[in-house]
Amino acid sequence: MATQSATASRPNLDAIKQKIQNLRQAYADAPEVGRIGLERMIAELEAAAGGGQQRAESAGRTGLRQGKVSELTSIVEFAPGGAKRLRALLTVLGGNFQGADKVGTLHDMRFVFIDNDTRLLFATTYDGDWDTYIDDFSTKIPDALDVLFSNMVGYPKKGMHDPAIKDWIANHQLTADAWYVASPNLTVPEARRLEKLGKAVDELLDKIE
Amino acid sequence: MVSTTAEKSSASAGPQQNKAIEEKIQQFRELFADAPEIGKKALENALHELRSQTSDLPPPVESAGRVGARLGKVSELTIIVPLAPGGAKRLRAFLRLLRGNLSQGADKVGTLHTMRFVFFDNDTRLLFATAYDGDWDTYIDDFIAKIPDYLDIIDSAWDGWPGIRSPGAKDYLVKHQITAEGWYVAYPDLTVAEIKRLQRIGKAVDEFLDKVG
Repeated sequence: MATQSATASRPNLDAIKQKIQNLRQAYADAPEVGRIGLERMIAELEAAAGGGQQRAESAGRTGLRQGKVSELTSIVEFAPGGAKRLRALLTVLGGNFQGADKVGTLHDMRFVFIDNDTRLLFATTYDGDWDTYIDDFSTKIPDALDVLFSNMVGYPKKGMHDPAIKDWIANHQLTADAWYVASPNLTVPEARRLEKLGKAVDELLDKIE
Repeated sequence: MVSTTAEKSSASAGPQQNKAIEEKIQQFRELFADAPEIGKKALENALHELRSQTSDLPPPVESAGRVGARLGKVSELTIIVPLAPGGAKRLRAFLRLLRGNLSQGADKVGTLHTMRFVFFDNDTRLLFATAYDGDWDTYIDDFIAKIPDYLDIIDSAWDGWPGIRSPGAKDYLVKHQITAEGWYVAYPDLTVAEIKRLQRIGKAVDEFLDKVG
């Protein structure tokens, strides 16, 4: 699916019309509220399908990327006692991870316990390519990651230093079918640079006044 | 759970708090007694860091309002819904038509940082996860006011969705939202609007420097 949307070329008008027709057919058995919404939006959808906007591309081995910003989404089963341990860890941290600042390419990260604490949803937003990002994680905060993910079923014995670690992560990752980023050109270092610049400009303007 | 620990960590550092941290770490060691070897070892390596983190008082994770976690100005919404019969097929067709890019609609919301749609469990369930600015109610109101039709097309694939204009819409969302127990944001003070402002400043400064240089 991700590869399909990544390799799709800009469709011509007939192809768009056909796609819209297919969509209508797909929605024929939708609840009324969905069918009405679709009819209200046909013109807008035709424009969107016709191009003009960047399409979501592949982030590399797995996951989607929009501009410079990628998504990682994984759902993993807890090992026995794992949910309890991970929750204890998150409690100590107050639900916050300053250590993640060290990765330098991580925009956001969430830990969500699902299905009565039997599974963990781990989802991040990061800069660039999957392989580089996982390398950043394993070189910069390997211990933190081992503490977190040793609570999951099948976590490789040597953790982030295990040769099997990338396969383990990739095997549990689910590629998104759609991925939206408000500022697709904004990397984490660029955000930090702009934050500093904004402060400096404010100070400058204060002095001029 | 996020809000209670947040309250604790937002209190000023004192001997009492240090004691509380030590107690927590002790408790934590006990919990990891039956963890795999790699976890125990990493815990010992990381404990020093953990201790300095908890005493450095990072900004606390707070509640985003009715449901969800917030760090600084940025909140998380994580919704998992069962898909209606045929729902996955319809929604896929819709997302494929847009080539996995929802910017045309989502840009209008104005408070949305990121949004992802992920099918799982053999297309029987959908994960809908966003990062957004501020308070839950305001954000949902923004969605409802600005892109109601997008929402109805998407959410009509969700089992039991009452329609965005229904008075039951917010309750439906709350019922299926799960608050994250860990939430990290690299730049918690930057709203979507502030990022756009800073990007304009950055551009203007670059142009200025070009002229001067």
